[in-house]
Amino acid sequence: MKSRRKAVWLAVAGVAAASVALSGCSGSSGGTDANGKTEIVVASLQPGASAAALAAFNTQVKTFEKKNPDIDVKGEEYNWTGTTFAAELAGGTLPDEFGVPFTDSKTLANNGQLADLTKYINKFSYADKFNKNVIDVAKDSKGHLYGIPFSPYAMAISYNRADFTKAGLDPNKPPTSWDEVETDAIAISKALPGVAGYMQMTSGNTGGWELTSATYSRGGRMESTASNGKVTVNADNDVTKAALAYLAKLRWTDNAAGSNFLLDWNGINAAFGSGKVAMYMSGSDVITSLVQNDKVDPANYGVTVIPVDTSAADAGVLSGGTVAVANAKDTPAQLAAVAKWIDFYYGQPQVDKDAAVTQAKALQASNQVVGAPSLPIFDKATYDQSREWIKPYATPGLLDNVAPFTSNIFAQNIVPEPNKHTQDLYGALDSVVQAVLTQKNPDVDALLKAVDVKIQALIDADPDQAAIK
Amino acid sequence: MSTTTPVISPDDVVLGQKPGAPATSPARARRAKSRASREAGDDRGIVSNTDWRRRGVRFPLATAHLVLLVLLVIAGLLPILWLMKAAFTPTQDTLTQPLAIFPHGATLTNIAQAFGVNIKIQDYFFNTIWVAAGAWAVQIVVSTTGGYALSVLRPKYGKIVTGMVIATLFLPAIVLLIPLYLTILHPLGFGGSLLNTFWAVWLPSGASAFNVVLVMRFFDGLPREIFEAAETDGAGPFRLFWSIVLPMSKPVIGVVTVFAIINTWKDFLWPNLVLPGGSDPASIQPLSVRLPAIQGTTELGPFLASLAIATLIPIILFLVFQRTFLSGGGFGGAVKG
Amino acid sequence: MTTSTRSVQRVRPRGTPITWVRRGGLANLLFLLPLLIIFGMFSWWPIIDSFVISLQHTNFIVTNWADPLWSNFTFVFNDPTFWVAVRNTGYFAILALIFGYPLPIVLAVLMSEVKRFKGLFSVLAYLPVVVLPVVSAELWKTVFFDAGNSGVFNIILSWFGIPAQPWIQNVGSAMPSLVLEATWASAGGTIIIYLAALTNVPPELYDAAEVDGAGIWKKLWHVTLPQLRGIMLITFILQIIGTSQVFLEPYLITQGGPVQSTTTIMLLIFQYAFQSTDGGNNLGGATALSLLLAAVLAIFSAIYFRATRSWSQN
Repeated sequence: MKSRRKAVWLAVAGVAAASVALSGCSGSSGGTDANGKTEIVVASLQPGASAAALAAFNTQVKTFEKKNPDIDVKGEEYNWTGTTFAAELAGGTLPDEFGVPFTDSKTLANNGQLADLTKYINKFSYADKFNKNVIDVAKDSKGHLYGIPFSPYAMAISYNRADFTKAGLDPNKPPTSWDEVETDAIAISKALPGVAGYMQMTSGNTGGWELTSATYSRGGRMESTASNGKVTVNADNDVTKAALAYLAKLRWTDNAAGSNFLLDWNGINAAFGSGKVAMYMSGSDVITSLVQNDKVDPANYGVTVIPVDTSAADAGVLSGGTVAVANAKDTPAQLAAVAKWIDFYYGQPQVDKDAAVTQAKALQASNQVVGAPSLPIFDKATYDQSREWIKPYATPGLLDNVAPFTSNIFAQNIVPEPNKHTQDLYGALDSVVQAVLTQKNPDVDALLKAVDVKIQALIDADPDQAAIK
Repeated sequence: MSTTTPVISPDDVVLGQKPGAPATSPARARRAKSRASREAGDDRGIVSNTDWRRRGVRFPLATAHLVLLVLLVIAGLLPILWLMKAAFTPTQDTLTQPLAIFPHGATLTNIAQAFGVNIKIQDYFFNTIWVAAGAWAVQIVVSTTGGYALSVLRPKYGKIVTGMVIATLFLPAIVLLIPLYLTILHPLGFGGSLLNTFWAVWLPSGASAFNVVLVMRFFDGLPREIFEAAETDGAGPFRLFWSIVLPMSKPVIGVVTVFAIINTWKDFLWPNLVLPGGSDPASIQPLSVRLPAIQGTTELGPFLASLAIATLIPIILFLVFQRTFLSGGGFGGAVKG
Repeated sequence: MTTSTRSVQRVRPRGTPITWVRRGGLANLLFLLPLLIIFGMFSWWPIIDSFVISLQHTNFIVTNWADPLWSNFTFVFNDPTFWVAVRNTGYFAILALIFGYPLPIVLAVLMSEVKRFKGLFSVLAYLPVVVLPVVSAELWKTVFFDAGNSGVFNIILSWFGIPAQPWIQNVGSAMPSLVLEATWASAGGTIIIYLAALTNVPPELYDAAEVDGAGIWKKLWHVTLPQLRGIMLITFILQIIGTSQVFLEPYLITQGGPVQSTTTIMLLIFQYAFQSTDGGNNLGGATALSLLLAAVLAIFSAIYFRATRSWSQN
């Protein structure tokens, strides 16, 4: 008995001693290092991104540091999720520069949780060229600027070209209506047992995001604003019910939605990457992440515009994006450095040929995606110009494969996301999407009504809404 | 903050482990005796040797044992063997034919990737050890010094302190989740936040009333004659602690050690909250935090290889020290919480 | 000399009245300091603080007293998800009792009668407990519970001609699936506890029963089970305490879905506090709910400590 205890004891002591040598305490940066350089920590890639993707990122960091010898840039893996962001914000663990989605940037700015970058951004060469509607998401209620939007996306349908071929479909002719999505999905699921012909995201707030997109594409809306500014939630509407009925039919009648219905953004990307989902609703630029994290072959990837019901007047494509912002705790020197980084990494490649080419080359050298389709943050001419610059470096075949999206998107009515308690609304709608996919006859009316009641209460409690009589 | 509750009474550690102490209750004596008789080979349970010799007993019982063994292999061993197999199977094979054994050959790619720059499983493994080692050290210091003061030195206010410690036994750790998180964000009297430092796990783990009570009970049972002799020799409270009490406390320190390590090793909720990663997660996050974080963004093959590596090492430790784990009601006798 | 005699008096096991010895005052305090600091910062203060927070509206940034003071509690009771979570947690606890409570007793009694390779049986039973809980959850989620035809469990079912099951992808089967995983991950620990308790049953009792002509079932019923009664109560209470705080499985495997069918109280506390976006973290609501849960659990804890004490003293 005694000797056995001794053995455990010694083992523990040994382990403890061995690991003393391995201690690594993450030191907090005061913003300036020993050489007087300004240190900033910037958001790099998602956890688990490939080594090649990190290499491409580091190449750009080196280029930046060469141009700005007084700034020290450190990349930090970063992944915006509605579920951890608030805790990280409160805990002060966010990097000096990071991205927040369009849905949250205004609220955070108004709460004083982001740093005011107005004076830096106004000096950018393209400060007056921003698309007014797009730059608005980076402003607070007083018109101050908190960052610049980057890679805005429009909702799209990503698809596996090989699966189209295997099912006897033409991968160059992706579906253009929801009915065609259904027929193609049935064909794929019949030809490839176990593969979901078409699927949507369902959890981590993405279910509501995609249900809202489906609603927009059929001409509906989730929130409406009266002339006096009063916002009303209207998830309980016939268009949303049609979008849900469509999903239910795919699932229960057509058997074309696969068998996994708890899919968040990462989950559905992984399912697509491993061949379990053939078509799914996504942001138009998702290929970047699919290559970084899910080993998707760009030659086998296709993307097209989300089907828009042309018979409905208000039908449109939901769009969103990310705003590159600065941490409210940054020192003025750090803010200046962060602004330079945002300009270098997100801004210049859109407007400057050299910057665009340097970035494209770095990505190309590491086999990362060059040419992922997004929406313009300036006017369309600038956007087209920047696409032209990177053409020689574009991922082989990708520009052709994304043509169904890029050649059609500019004819569409682009609609921003709902703007009051958007993530709360999306989160509440997750359950409704899950209900139609996992239950045969859920009471959709009651579920949607409950969402309306819950979110309306949150909106009404907002000070600005409460003030409206 | 660990949520695992040990199935052991603070009173129970003294049993059979107190050096040179007489058994104090008939029950203890009986147990000690039955343990002794067991070691002498006089083992028996419900079924007597006479029962065993009857066919009507032997056959069904042996069959039941065989069925039990098969079921235990299926439930206990096969999932782990499957995981080990998956570590060497290409992702597509695991996805399409999960139960086939290497239909297109084995591969080392998954393992190589798990140790590669993307996953760096070894870094997170050492973090896990470091988290456990620090939590262990804090728990040992707090419980032995506190137990010594409350049980041996016994200052006047000791009873109040003991009462306050025991009172926290009845409050489950969960009630503290949010206030404790706020304490970590803004520790009293300190400047910066403890978030993303090992201290955020180490320090709160020391506030274990269970450990303190356990150690106090053990110290209560130590023979006072030895202290008396030491004091006669002029030993002060520090020497008494260091040279007399601590060396005698190995059994109870052993128990605290096993619980400290198992609990920190398994804990998820708290480290997940206070170790979000920051600029270099590979220097701070333990496996239990890292593995779920990369699940969505890592290819299945390398991910399963990482799970396998995270499983293999504790299994080896378990097999080496299995008697420690399995002996006694308390050892490893932790019910999931 | 007199001092030392008195100090020996002082440390007698069955408490003579404590006398304050002025000379040792500082040393006493020094030895108590680590405990006072650690408990003060990480136990006593947070306990007091949780009562304060439960009466406040706070979201990490702005903190105000709630108006009315108890409004966090009314918020919790008015939230339909709270009642869903209570029901789900109760459902989990009951399913875990049905699946997970008798199983270790039966297995342990059977295993204790094994003559050869007894150690092998215990090692096999204990193996899943050694696996990191996070690893179990991820493994079951990503591979075993795959609801497609190529999911591990569904392939096995197909060998017996049973159609593919939805596992965690269905409102009805999600919670039982989680219970299955949780039971797999924890049963081994409970089996070992029972095995230890069984070795402590005095053999004389069996001998005596045999003299009275008792058969195997009689011995089981009249000797073994009564001897296990204490530990059965303890594991019962521990299981209730553990399952009422279930978090890891629903958080990692189902994220509370589908349709909130696996949203438990702990998950709801976590969601209130850390998952609201739009800057609206509801720490007050989360703490109020924590206190409600703690009040229920404290009752079980009290029973537990009474039970362990009487068990080890009988």
